Amino acid sequence: MGGKSFFIDTSICTACRGCQVACKQWHDLPAEKTINRGTHENPADLSFDTYRLVRFREVVVGGKLQWLFFPEQCRHCIEAPCLETAGDPGAIYRDDKTGAIIFTANTKRLNADEIIEACPYNIPRKAPDGTLAKCDMCIDRVENGLLPACVQTCPTGAMNFGDRNEMLALARQRLAIVKKKHPKARLLDPDDVRVICLVTEDPKLYHEFAVASSLAFDISRVVALKRLIRPLTNLAARL
Amino acid sequence: MRITRRKFIQVSGATAAGLAVSGLGFDLMPVKAHAQMLKTKYAKETTTICPYCAVGCGAIVHTSKKGDGRVINIEGDPGHVINRGALCSKGASLAQLTENENRLLEPMYRAPYAKEWKQVSWDWALTEIAKRAKKDRDATFIAKNAKGQVVNRTTAVVSGGSSALDNEECWIYQALMRALGLVYVEHQARI
Amino acid sequence: MTNHWIDIGNSDCILIMGSNAAENHPISFKYVTQAQMKGAKLINVDPRFTRTSSKADIFARLRGGTDIPFLGGMIKYILDNKLYNYEYVRHYTNACFIVGKEFSFKNGVFSGYDPKNRKYDKKAWAFEMDAKGVPKMDRTLKDSRCVFQLLKKHYSRYNTKLVSQITGTPEADLLKVYKEYAATGATGKAGTIMYAMGWTQHTVGTQNIRTMAIIQLLLGNIGVAGGGVNALRGESNVQGSTDHCLLWHIWPGYLKSARASNVSLAAYMKKWTPKSNDPLSANWWQNYPKYTVSLLKSFFGEKATKENDFGYDWLPRVDDGKTYSFLDMFDDMYRGKTKGMFCWGMNLCASLAHGNKNRQAMGKLDWLVNVNIFDSESASFWRGPGMNPSTIKTEVFSLPCCVSVEKEGSITNSGRWMQWRYQGPKPLGNSKSDGDIIMELGFKLKELYEKEGGPLPEPILNLKWDYMTNGMYDPHKVAKEINGYFLKDCTVKGKLCKKGTLVPSFAWLQADGSTSSANWLYCNSYTEKGNMSARRGQEDAVNKIGLYPEFAWCWPVNRRIIYNRASVDLKGQPFDKKDWVVKFVGDVKAGKYVSNKWIGDVPDGGWYPLQNPDGTAREDAKYSYIMRKHGHAQIFGPGLADGPFPEHYEPVESPLTKNPMRNNDQMLNPAVSIFTSDMDVYASASAKYPIVCSTYRVSEHWQTGLMTRPQPWLLELEPQVFVEMSEELAKEKGIKNGERVMVDSARGSLACTAIVTKRFEPFKIMGKTVHQVGVPWCFGWRWPESGTEDSANLLTPSIGDPNTKIPETKTFMVNVRKK
Repeated sequence: MGGKSFFIDTSICTACRGCQVACKQWHDLPAEKTINRGTHENPADLSFDTYRLVRFREVVVGGKLQWLFFPEQCRHCIEAPCLETAGDPGAIYRDDKTGAIIFTANTKRLNADEIIEACPYNIPRKAPDGTLAKCDMCIDRVENGLLPACVQTCPTGAMNFGDRNEMLALARQRLAIVKKKHPKARLLDPDDVRVICLVTEDPKLYHEFAVASSLAFDISRVVALKRLIRPLTNLAARL
Repeated sequence: MRITRRKFIQVSGATAAGLAVSGLGFDLMPVKAHAQMLKTKYAKETTTICPYCAVGCGAIVHTSKKGDGRVINIEGDPGHVINRGALCSKGASLAQLTENENRLLEPMYRAPYAKEWKQVSWDWALTEIAKRAKKDRDATFIAKNAKGQVVNRTTAVVSGGSSALDNEECWIYQALMRALGLVYVEHQARI
Repeated sequence: MTNHWIDIGNSDCILIMGSNAAENHPISFKYVTQAQMKGAKLINVDPRFTRTSSKADIFARLRGGTDIPFLGGMIKYILDNKLYNYEYVRHYTNACFIVGKEFSFKNGVFSGYDPKNRKYDKKAWAFEMDAKGVPKMDRTLKDSRCVFQLLKKHYSRYNTKLVSQITGTPEADLLKVYKEYAATGATGKAGTIMYAMGWTQHTVGTQNIRTMAIIQLLLGNIGVAGGGVNALRGESNVQGSTDHCLLWHIWPGYLKSARASNVSLAAYMKKWTPKSNDPLSANWWQNYPKYTVSLLKSFFGEKATKENDFGYDWLPRVDDGKTYSFLDMFDDMYRGKTKGMFCWGMNLCASLAHGNKNRQAMGKLDWLVNVNIFDSESASFWRGPGMNPSTIKTEVFSLPCCVSVEKEGSITNSGRWMQWRYQGPKPLGNSKSDGDIIMELGFKLKELYEKEGGPLPEPILNLKWDYMTNGMYDPHKVAKEINGYFLKDCTVKGKLCKKGTLVPSFAWLQADGSTSSANWLYCNSYTEKGNMSARRGQEDAVNKIGLYPEFAWCWPVNRRIIYNRASVDLKGQPFDKKDWVVKFVGDVKAGKYVSNKWIGDVPDGGWYPLQNPDGTAREDAKYSYIMRKHGHAQIFGPGLADGPFPEHYEPVESPLTKNPMRNNDQMLNPAVSIFTSDMDVYASASAKYPIVCSTYRVSEHWQTGLMTRPQPWLLELEPQVFVEMSEELAKEKGIKNGERVMVDSARGSLACTAIVTKRFEPFKIMGKTVHQVGVPWCFGWRWPESGTEDSANLLTPSIGDPNTKIPETKTFMVNVRKK
């Protein structure tokens, strides 16, 4: 399988959040009004204006305090439930070269809640008018030979981007090394997504949706069903 | 007009949609019209060093060549040997530091006991500042201290700052302050 | 930094203590991570578990203000277990010097103490000299009065059990840290320290750093790749502004500001030019007169002549024994002694300790000039919280300067790299570059003095002020002046130097007025070869340790790792064969070096090594520590205000009633001076303020936050001032995570959002439970516009280190209560 992929090594993420701002900077996204909620994590959730969010979690594992950081973003699924659910390539499509899943302004005509429900990682967010937004892999940058903004700005090498084969190889190589120190280390859904995360602890400790929910996998059956009836429903929508 | 990334997607999205519905079924092939033009493509590129902490990271500034001549984008400089393109949250927000509606853009003056600022001209402000500096420097100038030693100074006019200045500015600033006889010359290194 | 950012990647063991590098110097973690990936260990010591701690191999907690016991225990551990680098210690440090009989340490006080004036007479700490005036040495380190033996004695009290009771660090954690770090004493291993304000902002700040410097010297970690003593400086050009000495006590290039007793240029030179009688000591500061006269020539140009002492009398002099620091400045101001102030690119009402006192002091000024990018808590102090503008007389001029990307010039990073920046857009609106504002103000003043005269007008009239091109400030002209010119045709080192050409390096500067250099340290930065700071060369040096000698330029003379001749043995061969810094490769004939050649970094003075390959000593060699009068690094530091060895004293506000260190009856550092205004109040061991507090900041805001709080993207990430506290303390106080609470000190109160976290834990100190909390100082009432946030400096005390007068904002006492 070709295309591009990210490899996110959370074991070396320092939560400097350069990525979170670089994403807003490149995409000209406005800031949200936030308050301190008793945590450094902010904003509280992804939104139509926030494609990327670093999660902060304090956990005690084996008597040892750990501060786990997890950068949340669209995983650009190989088989993307959002795309399949939408069935409307004018609204959600896969970029041939990279494999990026791209949302356009036409997402406004989709059933937003259905798309959000379909996502195994709870990523897409809607504007008041129903338009959906999420990470676009900085496809304009990538097509012009630049790294996605979040990757370029990462100081430690937690964020990586490149040809899928190379990223998979890098992920496996890092996993082997990290495992020596953190036996529970694993890659999250590496075969299903283009954003491969390495975690050192149980993924549920990082964030509820760090790993694909089993509920979402059930959705693939729904999707399969939908695929059969889609031409009709879509046609109906256009008429 | 500055084309924001979001507007751009709207434009390209519309094109993609137009193509996608052509023909029967849902052929994904024609969907290629997304933003291929970088917002920085026709911009002037200059290098800078981040003004926050003292790691000294390099950044590239993209300035619009046409129109308002303002900053379009600032990102890490991959050719800089220290940061190799990386920037933290502060460095990544440099464009917003520059293009910021909260910036002070005119000299302002607050009269004694006044409740408000008043906008003034540069020439008026600098003339009035120079007059006050001279008056108080001259009035409090001490040629000799209590022991009768030559000291040629004033302690009634003081200066704080600044590591926010460039090296060359630091030098001329301290030279001017010391020429006036100030000994209370201090800055952030004392914090 | 003795070393530089990239060099951190060469380390075998990184100690982050007194800094929070992952948050405050985020890109440094590029190199910390790189080192860790190569097998280096990361140790983090902090009162609080931070983003830095989250990446550490070993994390150890300590109570704020107890770094000296923590590190003193490490000194004892290194000495007891003989883990020091013996060759390095006996040849390159003053461990072998014999200390005079007058030196003693009793009940927490060194000899020579004057309790009335809280001052030491440092003569009581002098070395014993031989007949030639050279310090007596015992290179075997056995003499009972040699520095090494005195060091052993001094730290014999710092046993791990007592240290643990003082610091609150479990003994097992202490030993883990000591063992791991002391392992870098092995040949070929390098340990580095990354520290910042967490060490400086204490009444024992300088001695915190001294303690670590002693450790680095014992382990042979200074001068080597991946080692050094590395201050992580917080502002992009605070290194440059320090080099150019925007400080009361020094002139550009770290020359002393003239004291009243330095009655003439000759007297000034005599006082400050060190003399060594040891032919093996380079004693680099013997060049003091050359640097001074060249500086005066830059100040006053042709008006500075031999006849008028090069204008020496035109520069102000400070009184001997008095200090003129920020704390002194604001104390004077608060007492109504100050007329006017320039507050330039600084936000003192938020950044300086005891904000309430400083804000009151500002209201006693007749005028204030404030220059900044945004309106600030300082420019608008008169309309801040609790202020009544109709009672405040101060006239305020608020001048808009432009952002760095809108102008051209250089800044110097923490690793001493001078880097050139270019102009992108033009200054926004009616803002101007600081350079233009300074130049125009200078012209206005010159004009006034020309017209009206006044007392001693010469310095203003004669100040060299020709830095304009086409009516605009020209940074290139100043950069060249800083480098320096030949002012007449002259022959130096057998070479003809043409008048008006740029001096190639400080070795060419003269004391007769034939050269100028506005800062000798930067001489070599802008030469006939061009602007060295603008270089972008991507090639690494021959030793491939990330020196990148052709990228930008660093002082001195592009030397990337200073004290680098201590990285080689007496024969000039590197201790570390792999990551070497410099190496002597001169020709050898019959066991003797016969030609002089070093490769690698620019060596710290290019003399021959101390020994030939056959082990015979060379007379044309120099000791490695060329900036020290006696050529040796100082384990014993007889020049400091508060003692030659670091000793533990409690902060001015402490949870304890008595210094827990053995043989020490002094609570507070005996050399600290105390301010006495009605607002200077302290509450030590007080039931009202039982909680230790520290200030810090966050990755997303910078310093007072004035250049980050007006930015919505950054405010989104960290919108409000907070107080972090342990779950235990929160429970005790009935405080819930996320609720607004009050933090009170003897000097002020601050509303904060509570962050209840596992990252703080109560300490056991001398058998008692002691809580610590932390509040960031990166907020202020002006931004965000809600006006609900303010600075942690409303709580902090105006008391400072006796050497630097840097305020003690890292440890003081507070209470926390529900709002």
